[in-house]
Amino acid sequence: MAKKQKAVAEESISPNLIPMIDIMFLLLLFFMLSADMSQRQLEEVVLPAASQVKEDKNKGNEGETTTTINIHHVTDRSTACAVYSNGGVCREAEHWKWAIRGHDYTKDTLKEQLQIEAQLHMETTMDPKAHKVLSALRVLIRADSGAPYGDVQKVIETCGLAGIYKVEVAAAKPAPEKK
Amino acid sequence: MAGGNAADNPVAINMVPMVDVIFCLCVFFMCSMKFKQVEGKFDAWLPKDAGTTAPAALPQEIRIAIDWDARQEVARLQMGTRLVADGAELRTLLRGARDDRAGDRNGVVPVVIDADGRVPWKDVIGVIDACRELHLDRVEFALGKPN
Repeated sequence: MAKKQKAVAEESISPNLIPMIDIMFLLLLFFMLSADMSQRQLEEVVLPAASQVKEDKNKGNEGETTTTINIHHVTDRSTACAVYSNGGVCREAEHWKWAIRGHDYTKDTLKEQLQIEAQLHMETTMDPKAHKVLSALRVLIRADSGAPYGDVQKVIETCGLAGIYKVEVAAAKPAPEKK
Repeated sequence: MAGGNAADNPVAINMVPMVDVIFCLCVFFMCSMKFKQVEGKFDAWLPKDAGTTAPAALPQEIRIAIDWDARQEVARLQMGTRLVADGAELRTLLRGARDDRAGDRNGVVPVVIDADGRVPWKDVIGVIDACRELHLDRVEFALGKPN
């Protein structure tokens, strides 16, 4: 008799796991779908805000080839830049790096790399204005909002020297103001 | 019998390991999740025929100089001879300059940004943004000043 009562008590407190599993599956699905694993060529950059910026509609367009150059702030882990981490304007030239797909470049090596990439994507016809075949490669410059303008200028200049004329600069859409 | 013990059902599945694994996956994805910034771009196409050589100054161009005050760590905007205090004043001045010049060049008024190499990129983008807002689409960068 006592045994029977114990079994009934155990049954009444057993939790129903099905709704929890359902919710966890939904959460898992949400996080998996929102995880973006395709950002390998983008460095950690705080882009400057611009209200007139147009959204990139060519993303994923197979016909267009874009190389992204990131101008980002890097310091050795041992010597963190106090100025940058406190939101100041860091003007240490060694702290600003130019990177393509995770590799850092100098002005000379960037020119070589861009020339190689420009050669891989040449236009099919001669340009009547330039009297030569130009590269169809697009270069997107993602510069940190605190990056020196001189660095952006040098990158644009290097693109010109490598025969690339389709240059774009990235900016962030500002968050809508709360009313 | 419906609602019976698990022991009554010979094909009952043990859910606990699966719940553990899903918990771990949820924690992993939650920790690695980052809200993506909405990114856009401005075209800055280079002239096809001129490369990066300096073109001759146009008489009707609007020239905006941006200098870097290293002591106070601020960018100082100047349009012509006039110092510009903020973005609102820049827009007012640009609007006036555009309306003055529009008739002379079929509505196309070039804006030349002549900035110091130490100026933060956000200040240059701020000027480009103001130009785009006022439909001044031809924005050019002057060749660099020595730092």
